[in-house]
Amino acid sequence: MSTRKPLFGLLGLIVVLVVVFGTLSPAFFDERLVLFPLLRDIAIYTVVGLAQMVVLSIGHMNLAVGRMAAFSAMFMGLSYDRLHLPLYAGLCIGLLAGAAIGAFTGWIIARTGVNSFVVTLAMDFALLGLIPVVYTALTANAAFTVKPDGMRELRQYSLGDVCLGNVCGSPAVPQMMLLAVAPMLALGYLYHGTRPGRELLLTGSNPLAAELSGIPTRRRVVTAHLLSGLLAGLAGFMLAVATGSFRATIGEEFLLPSFLGAILGGTAMAGGVVSVIGTFLGTSLTLVIRRGLELVGIGLEYLNVYLGVILLLALSADRFLQRRGVKS
Amino acid sequence: MIVADQLVKVFPGVRALDGASLRLEAGSVHALLGENGAGKSTLIKILTGVQRPDQGRLLIGGEAVTLRSPTEAAQAGIGAVHQERNLIPAFSVAENIALQRLPIRRGLVDRAHMRAEARRILGLLDVDLDPDVRVDRLSVAQRQLVEIAKALYGESRVLLLDEPTASVSPAEAELLFTVVRKLADSGAGVLFVSHKLEEVFAICDTVTVLRDGRTVLDAEPIADHARDDLIDLMVGRSREALSFPPRPPATQPAVLELDRISTAAGHREVSLSVRPGEIVGLYGLVGSGRSELAKALLGLEPIESGSVRVRGKNVVIKDVRQALAKHRIGYVTENRKEEGLFLDQPVSRNIAVTVWGRIAGALGHVSPAREGELVSMWVDRLGIKLASSRQLAGQLSGGNQQKVSLAKWLAAETEILIIDEPTVGIDVRTKGAFHELIWGLAADGMAILLITSDLAEMITLADRVLVMRDFRIRGELDNDHHYDRTSQAVIRLIHSKEI
Amino acid sequence: MLIAICVAGYLSLVVASGGAFASGNAVQTFFQFLPVPVLIGLAQMIALSVGQLNLAVGALGGFLACAMGVLMADLGVPAPAAIVIGLALGAAVGALTGALVVFTRINGFIVTLATMTILIGAQYRLVGTRTVSDYSPGLKEFGQASVLNIPLVFLLALGVAALVAMFFRAAAPGRRMLASGSNPLAATLSGVSNDRSVILAHTLSGLVVAITAVVTVAVSPGVNRSIGGDWLLPSFAAPIIGGAVLTGGTAVVLGTVLAAFIVRLVDSARAEFSLQPSWVNFVVGAVVLGTVVLTRARETRRSGGSS
Repeated sequence: MSTRKPLFGLLGLIVVLVVVFGTLSPAFFDERLVLFPLLRDIAIYTVVGLAQMVVLSIGHMNLAVGRMAAFSAMFMGLSYDRLHLPLYAGLCIGLLAGAAIGAFTGWIIARTGVNSFVVTLAMDFALLGLIPVVYTALTANAAFTVKPDGMRELRQYSLGDVCLGNVCGSPAVPQMMLLAVAPMLALGYLYHGTRPGRELLLTGSNPLAAELSGIPTRRRVVTAHLLSGLLAGLAGFMLAVATGSFRATIGEEFLLPSFLGAILGGTAMAGGVVSVIGTFLGTSLTLVIRRGLELVGIGLEYLNVYLGVILLLALSADRFLQRRGVKS
Repeated sequence: MIVADQLVKVFPGVRALDGASLRLEAGSVHALLGENGAGKSTLIKILTGVQRPDQGRLLIGGEAVTLRSPTEAAQAGIGAVHQERNLIPAFSVAENIALQRLPIRRGLVDRAHMRAEARRILGLLDVDLDPDVRVDRLSVAQRQLVEIAKALYGESRVLLLDEPTASVSPAEAELLFTVVRKLADSGAGVLFVSHKLEEVFAICDTVTVLRDGRTVLDAEPIADHARDDLIDLMVGRSREALSFPPRPPATQPAVLELDRISTAAGHREVSLSVRPGEIVGLYGLVGSGRSELAKALLGLEPIESGSVRVRGKNVVIKDVRQALAKHRIGYVTENRKEEGLFLDQPVSRNIAVTVWGRIAGALGHVSPAREGELVSMWVDRLGIKLASSRQLAGQLSGGNQQKVSLAKWLAAETEILIIDEPTVGIDVRTKGAFHELIWGLAADGMAILLITSDLAEMITLADRVLVMRDFRIRGELDNDHHYDRTSQAVIRLIHSKEI
Repeated sequence: MLIAICVAGYLSLVVASGGAFASGNAVQTFFQFLPVPVLIGLAQMIALSVGQLNLAVGALGGFLACAMGVLMADLGVPAPAAIVIGLALGAAVGALTGALVVFTRINGFIVTLATMTILIGAQYRLVGTRTVSDYSPGLKEFGQASVLNIPLVFLLALGVAALVAMFFRAAAPGRRMLASGSNPLAATLSGVSNDRSVILAHTLSGLVVAITAVVTVAVSPGVNRSIGGDWLLPSFAAPIIGGAVLTGGTAVVLGTVLAAFIVRLVDSARAEFSLQPSWVNFVVGAVVLGTVVLTRARETRRSGGSS
């Protein structure tokens, strides 16, 4: 395949790092204390990365990815707290809210033709203002603390709790991983096997040619942002489950990782090229480095420095190879 | 004062210049003529340092020079007014003129000096323009004058004007000519590129004609030549139209009819019709409104009045998707890189984009087998050379790229096809294959509206030729595929005075 | 129009507060917190003028503030020297960013995303979880000083704004940057180097961020790792409300300053009526969206009318 996606490089790098960290600090392989939370974080941030990836696929950005997660989580908290809905019913309502805010954003972009950067920036501000107002009006300490049945289990259960006869899954893999695997499969299928998915890619690749080939580009813009809101909502849910409460601050830390995971994974800023697996691997890489450095005791302070340098090196190398490829 | 000697410039697949020469004398206005694709713009790009020749020499004042950039060309005294508008809209007239070398006093731009300089140059041209006014408040012709002033700011002795009157009213053009004349009288050499022969006869002293990248008339006084001589030289007598086995005359009723269409883009009272099995040619110069007509037809530009009939029924087409799904109309765009192809995507997707709507199942599922089958069928039929259908469209040669953008519409089972400049930038052999292909499509009953600026292509393929100028149809000819007769008739329509 | 909004807004606030808002103290508080939004808006505007985005505005500012704090408090560097080092460092990081954008041809968004990550790490590395407050009293005095109830730091910000405005209006490099941002092809044909414009834009953006950091160090009781964390979004809001175009070619200094003023006004009004702080963000979001949509609509109408 000629679209060079740095998948093998990423995988190799992750394996090498895991081995290095494991050797330096055998505690790295502790299933309960290290691997389980690491994989849970990877699951959450993979979904965050996917939420950015779907808009990058049409050449747009979503700066409000974190706030959409908070918006969505707010509806989930509301439905548990006020309507006493079961866990998954609340999840559905929250996802609907996320999809709606995403679709609304996409609609504004498609309708006005204003740059997605500006529109999602404005949306981010608006939600940043709106969400705390709701929380202070409806809750005592800016969080919905009601825990619906099943939430604790979802947070703590691993595949070790799923047994077929005597064979049980690994206790290192949290069940929440399934919430990341499901959208990965769905998006993989969307982009590879369906008409709307391919039309998203072509809209990102060349919007004018897409329009002239009969692709409803405006509708695709709405689709992409809708999916972004939906996935952001899912990520918000996962983070809330992992931390135990639905708060206004959910998603605050999403923006940077959302780009890191997707871009490291080979998704193009300009649109037209996505990689679902790449987003997973890119996210995994950043989180493995984070957790590994913590364990080895290098300390959090260097963490972002390394991440930034790796991002720059990876992209420069990629660009360099591409340019050489063009020449030869 | 400036001489181009036997220049050769080769692009992948085309010899844009193949021994082109030019001699420009001081104090004269020199016309550079040639049909589309004769090599004029390449020659200008070389003279202005945008491109460098593969062979041949460039002499200025008798000395061989190499121009590596527009800045070097400006330093050598060559100023150019390109077809693209090259001004900064938010800057003042004076600043645009002086941008190459902003005068500086005490670290800041010396506006007084800049204004005085601009006023001096505008004065030379006898142009009454306020140097402080912002360029985006000027008319097109005024901007053109600013560009000329800008070209002169670098003490240019040579001025290249590329189609300066393309979008200018007759009165404004008059003003422009006065300025040009004045410049030449003051000792500058002016190279004037224009499609409008009336203008050339009105203001030029000498003329060079290019054809197929060669100079066929080398710097002769224009007074020695009649209009028709020049047309003959531009068109050439040597080329023969290819001939294909005759097609049965199209007798069925027209499937596409435009009845007195006026558009927001500027078309007035355009009528035409195309029958199944017929190739109708739409000829005209660049900017005459042909592609815009195609786009209006597909709903991309608003149609203000008149009616469109498809298969006898009045229709309103909203967008390309509807044109395709409901009316089976396809549009092979002129600019394949920008409008036709997804260069960073595999060929398979480039071809299949129009058929997903037809073959998608539940939830939009596209069967890879079904898609692969369709793609490989059209790759085979059109003879597209590929390593695999996963190869990226951007990695193909120009000819194969063009086939891909045609395949897209054939795979969609269109019945009415608008083909816009199908063979621009394509080598001669592939061109022939393309012509055969288009001919064959018509023989199979496709209704084709062919937009082209390549006369030979038009005469080879079209059954009827419509000539468009300034967004109106200026005439219609039956094409007997006889090159000399038809080409001259067409050129006369193009260069005719206002009707 | 923005001026009218500012004046009207301020006056109505004075009236609504029953005159309390015209008092010296209130005026001083109002202007005390204005320089930082003004300056970060300007830093972003400079990047936008050539069509670049600078995501590292907050991270660089935070890093530089902490660096200067550490230099003075821990290493005993005198305040003037620390400031000079900070400014030089800011410009250097900016220049490096610009060079990376030009030479790798990687999207400026990504490059500044990466430098942002690195700088956040560096900032954390410098101060960890502590707050550095034991530095130059002189500088802190300067931060609190005022003339006729107008804080000096605000005057400093206005001075910077004036310089930036002058740079874009009258200095040759500034004009070339605008030419590059407006029409890169035309700029090239006029002998302007677009690469140089991009590097210069990032350098100046870095320098203005460094000035913001100096102001922050002066007005804050201390610096810690949270400084700069909430600068990014406002840095875009001010120039966009002020009329900057994302694709480049505009330098709206006055617009940026006034937009920052309006945001501050909204914040004061919010405090006056004891509403929740988050309402400010909501209003800013609405204003950003409203401004661009209106501009867009006006453009469409104008181009539609002329053709």
